[in-house]
Amino acid sequence: MHTVLLRKLLEALLTLFFATLIIFALIRLAPGDPVRLMLGHPGEIAAQGTSAYDEKVAELRAELGLDRNIAVQYVSWLGRLAQGDLGTSIFTGKQVGSEIAARLPATVTLSLSALLVQIALGLFFGMVASLRSGKLADQLIRVACVALASTPAFVVGLVALALFAVKYGVYEISSDFSAARLWLPALTLGVLGAPQLVRIMRANLLTEFGKIYVSSAQSRGLDRKRVVRHAARNALIPLVTMVALSFAGLIGGAVVIESIFSWPGIGKYALDSILVKDYPVIQGYALVAVLMVVLIHFLVDVVYSALDPRIHHKGEAGREETV
Amino acid sequence: MSSDNRAEALEVKGLQVAYEQNGRRTTVLNSLDFHLGKGEILVLLGESGSGKSTIARAVTGMLPPSARIGGGSLRVGAERIPDLGKPGIPWERIRGRGIAMLFQDAQSALNPVMKIKDHFKESLLYHSLASAEEAAAISAAMLERLNFKDVRHILECYPFQLSGGMCQRICLALALCLEPAVLVADEPTSALDTVSQKEVLDLLRKLQREMGLTVLLITHDIAVANAVGNRVIVLNKGVIEEEGDTRTVLTRPASAYTRELLAARNRIARPAHGLPPAAGKPVLEIVRLSKTFGGKKRVLQQVDLTLNEREILGILGQSGCGKSTLAKCVAGLERPSEGRILLRGADIGHLKGKARRETSKRIQLVFQDARASLNPGRTALQLVQEPLHYLRIGGKEEREALAAYYLREVGIADEAQTRRPPQLSTGQCQRIAIARALVLRPDILICDEAVSALDMSVQAQILELLQRLQRQFGFAILMISHDIRVLRAFCHHIAVMSSGSFGERKQESGRLHESRQPHTQLLLKCAGDMEDGLV
Amino acid sequence: MKRRFNSKNPASLIVGVVVLAILAIAILGAPLLAPYDPVAQNAAERLEKPSEKHWLGTDRFGRDILSRTLHGGQTTLLSSLLALCAALAIGLLVGMAAGMFHGSALDHILMRIIDVLLAFPFMVFAMVIAGLFGTGLVHLLLAVVSVWWVSFARLTRSVVLHAKNETSYAAAKVLGASNLAIMRKELLPKAISPVLILATFELGTLILSIAALSFLGLGAQPPAPEWGSMLADGRAHFFQAPHILIGPAAFIVATVLAFNLIGEGLRDRLDPYEKLEL
Repeated sequence: MHTVLLRKLLEALLTLFFATLIIFALIRLAPGDPVRLMLGHPGEIAAQGTSAYDEKVAELRAELGLDRNIAVQYVSWLGRLAQGDLGTSIFTGKQVGSEIAARLPATVTLSLSALLVQIALGLFFGMVASLRSGKLADQLIRVACVALASTPAFVVGLVALALFAVKYGVYEISSDFSAARLWLPALTLGVLGAPQLVRIMRANLLTEFGKIYVSSAQSRGLDRKRVVRHAARNALIPLVTMVALSFAGLIGGAVVIESIFSWPGIGKYALDSILVKDYPVIQGYALVAVLMVVLIHFLVDVVYSALDPRIHHKGEAGREETV
Repeated sequence: MSSDNRAEALEVKGLQVAYEQNGRRTTVLNSLDFHLGKGEILVLLGESGSGKSTIARAVTGMLPPSARIGGGSLRVGAERIPDLGKPGIPWERIRGRGIAMLFQDAQSALNPVMKIKDHFKESLLYHSLASAEEAAAISAAMLERLNFKDVRHILECYPFQLSGGMCQRICLALALCLEPAVLVADEPTSALDTVSQKEVLDLLRKLQREMGLTVLLITHDIAVANAVGNRVIVLNKGVIEEEGDTRTVLTRPASAYTRELLAARNRIARPAHGLPPAAGKPVLEIVRLSKTFGGKKRVLQQVDLTLNEREILGILGQSGCGKSTLAKCVAGLERPSEGRILLRGADIGHLKGKARRETSKRIQLVFQDARASLNPGRTALQLVQEPLHYLRIGGKEEREALAAYYLREVGIADEAQTRRPPQLSTGQCQRIAIARALVLRPDILICDEAVSALDMSVQAQILELLQRLQRQFGFAILMISHDIRVLRAFCHHIAVMSSGSFGERKQESGRLHESRQPHTQLLLKCAGDMEDGLV
Repeated sequence: MKRRFNSKNPASLIVGVVVLAILAIAILGAPLLAPYDPVAQNAAERLEKPSEKHWLGTDRFGRDILSRTLHGGQTTLLSSLLALCAALAIGLLVGMAAGMFHGSALDHILMRIIDVLLAFPFMVFAMVIAGLFGTGLVHLLLAVVSVWWVSFARLTRSVVLHAKNETSYAAAKVLGASNLAIMRKELLPKAISPVLILATFELGTLILSIAALSFLGLGAQPPAPEWGSMLADGRAHFFQAPHILIGPAAFIVATVLAFNLIGEGLRDRLDPYEKLEL
C-alpha cells in the first residue's frame, strides 16, 4: 500500500511539474513583449520611443532575466515559485503571492462548502432515485437534474441574488467575506453541481443492486435497509473519484459565482486582473488553481486506496485447505 | 422456525410463472407441484430453459421484475403463502430462516468490501441468534465443521482473497448459521472444478446425516444428481417429466425424455471403431514454456508438450491451472516469457505483426462462449468469411463459396446461413465458430473448453461433429477441458496440468488410471465417485 | 426489492429532438425570420419591455433582442459544434491509441498528458488564454478544444480496455486481423455510441461554458450578437430591466436542455458502458 501511495505522490509531483511547464510556455508564447506589457500602462512612461523608455525596457529586461536563454529562465522562474515568489502585480505593484494568499481562504471556503452541498444532495437524491427507479419520484428527480444541468450558472446565480437579496432582502449585497454571506453562493454553486453526482450515484447503485451479493444478502432475510447498505458500501467507492473530478469544476464555477455575488475570492481577483491584462496575477492564479486540483486528486487517491480492500490487500491469498 | 411435525419441509402447489418482455409473454412454469421431505436432498434436474432456476427464485421471492406469477401456493414449515401471485408477501419471514439460498457464483455472492467475519456477524445479529461476542465463536465453529483449517485467518479475509470452492463453503456456512428449514442450492457446483465440486457435495451429504439438512439442489449435471440426490425430479420446459428415487430414475428411467438425456450423456463415449490413428510426426512442440504475468504471477512453469499430426490431445486441468493461458500462448494471444513454441520446427512464440498473422492460417481457436466470439450483427456467411477478409485471401465470390461450403460441412443449412447469432441456438453458434476456424484449413485446432457451456445433448453433437471433421480434413486437435469424461472419450492422449505444469508425460487416454501423479489420481477418484452407479 | 427497471421511455428523446428541431429551424432561418437587423441601434427604443413590436424587448442600444438572439444562435451553435467535432476527433484518436497500446510507452505518455490537462479546470485555462492572448471567440474556442478532448479520450480508452477483455477481440486476433482492422471493426463500433452520448452532454456543457465566459467578458465581444455577450451586455441593467437577459438565457436553456434530453434518451436505449464514467 505504501508503494502505491509513493507512486501516486510522484505522479502528482510530475503532473504539477508539467503543468508549470505549460503555464510557462503559454506566458512566453503570448503576443507582446512582456516588458512592454508591464510598462504599457499610460502614465508609467511619458512617451514611447524616447531613449528613457528604451533604457527602462533594457533595465527591466535584465531584471527579469529575459536576456538569458529560455531553459535558464524556466529554472529560475521555477526556483522563485518554490520560494513562494509569484511575481509582482503590474496594476497594484503588490506581491501577487500575498494578494492571492489573502483571497484564497474565501475561495476555499466557498468551494468546500459547495462540495459538501453537492455531495449531500447527490447522495440523498441519487439514493432516492435508485430506490424508486422507474417510478414517479425517480422521473421527477431526473427531470429536475436535467433542467438544472441545462441552466447556465450565472442565470441561477442572478436569479438567486434577485430573489433573496432584492425581493426578500435576506441576503446582503456587499464584498465582505463573512459567514453570514456564505450560504447563498455556496448553496447556488452546490446545487448547480449536484445533478452530475445524483446521476452517477443513481447509476452506481442500480448497478450494484443487480449484483449477486445483493440477492445473496436478501436471501439471508436481511431487511431492505441493510441490503441497500451492502450496495451503498460498494457504490460509494467510485463516487470518491467523481468528487475529485468535480472539484476541478467547482474551482472553475467559483469564478462565475464569485463574480455575481461579489465574493472576494481568487476567481474574482483573477477576472479583474484579466480585464486589465495584469499577467503576473493571471499566472499566479493558474498556478494556485492547478496546485489545488492536483492536491485534491492526490488526497482522493489516498482515500480511495484506503476504502477499497482489493487495493490495499493486494496479493495475500488465502491458504488452500482441504480434507 | 417454529417446530413443525409434518414430514414435508417444503410444499409447492400449482406454481405458474411467465415472463413478459417487449409485450410478449412466455410461460415458463405451468401448474407445477412438488414437495420436499425433511432431511431429504431433492435434485431438480434439467437443461437450460427447463425452468429450474425460476423455481428457485419463485420460492424465495426473487424473480426479476419481468416475471408474472399466475398462481401457486407455498408452504415452508409453518409459514403458508396461499397465493404467490398476490403482492405484499412477507418474504422477510421466509428468507434466511425458512429458506436459505446458495448461488452458482459463490465469490460474487459475498460482498467484496466486507470481511468474512462481518458477513457472519451481520446475519447472526440481525436474526437475534447471537450477540456480537458470541458471533465470532459461532462462525468459527461453523467454518470448522465445514472442513476449514485456519479459521481465524479466513474470517479476516475478503472474498477476493479466497478461491471459488472456499467461497461456496463459506456461503454454505452463512446459510447454515441461520438454521434454515430448507436450503435451495442453484447450480452450487457448476462453477467449481471437479475436486472442489466433490468436496461441497460431500459436505452436503455429511450435513444431511448429522443435522438433518434438507436441500433442494438445482443442476443440469446428471453426475451431480447421482452423487448427492435422494430423489430426482426431471424437468423439461417447465413440465415434470419424471420423479422418483435417484437410483431408479437414472438407471431405469420411465420417461422418454430422461432416457434421451442419459443417452445424450452416454454418446460422449469412445466410438466403437476407435479414433483414427495419429501420425508419428510432431506438428507442434512446446519446449520449456513459462509465462509470468506482471513479473510476479507465474502461470506456466517449464511446460513441455508435443502434439503429433492428426492427433487429438486433451489437456485436463482444473480452473486456474494455466491451461487457458497455454492455449493463448499457442494461439498467439499471449507472448511466452520463456521457452519456445515450434510449429513444424519453426519458432512462432515471438513472432510479431504480419508474420504472427500468417500463423493464423495454421493454428486456430474455438472459444468456450460461442456467442461472445461472434459479432451479433453479422450473418453466418459473413462471420465465416472474416478470416479470409482479414488475411486477404481470395476474391469476393471465392470467399462466399468457401464460407457456404464450410457452413454446410458443420451442419448449417443454406437457409440458416443468412441468419444472425441472436436468431440461432448456442449449438449452431458454436458450429459457425468451428466453420470459421476451419475455413483457413489450419493444421491445429485448439478447443478451449469449447463444449463446456453447452447442454449435454448439444455437447455430444458438437463432439461428434469435431470427430467427423477431424477425420475429413486431417487436422490435429488440442482439446482443453476440466471434464475427464469428454477427454477420455474424445482424445488419443491426455496430459494433466496442475499449477502451471504437467506432472508427467501425456498418457494414452485409456491408460490414464495408471498415472502415478497424486493430483491425477485425486481427479479420477472424484470423478469416478460422482459417476458411481450410473450406467 | 425489484432489480433495475430500465424504462425505455422515449419521451425524453422525442421531446429533445423536437425542441432541437424547432430551435435549429429558428436559428438557421434567422436571416429570414428575424424581424429586425440585429445590430441596428435605435436610441428611441432603449430598454423597452417585451411588447408586440419587440417580442423580447430591446436592449440598452435599442436593438431588438429577439433578432439578436436568433442571429446570435448561429454563432454560438456553429462554433460550439465545430469545437466539439475537433475535440471529439482528437479524443477518439488519442483514446484509441492509448487503449490499443495499453501498457506501452505511448500509453503512459498520453495518460500523463491527460493527467496534466485535467489539472487545469476549464474555466481557469480559458481565463489564462483570454488573459494572455486576448479575448474573443476564436481564442475561446482554441482554449476549449485544447482541454475538451480529454474526456473523450478517457472514455474511448476505457471502452477499448474493456473491449480487449472480451472474447470477440481475442477471436478477431486469432483469425488474423491486423491492429488496424481490429480498431475499425471491433473497437471503433463499440466506442462510437458511448462517445456520441457523452458528446451530446458535453455539447450542452460547452454551450454553457462559452456563455459563462462571454458573460464574464472573456468571449465574443460586442457588437457580435452571441448569446453570452448579450448576457454580459444585459448584466449591468439586470435589476432594472431583467427582460434583457431572458431572451438569450431562455434560448440557452432550451438548447442545452434539448441536447441533455437527447443524451439521456440515447443513454437509456443504447449505452452498455454507462458505468464507465471515466
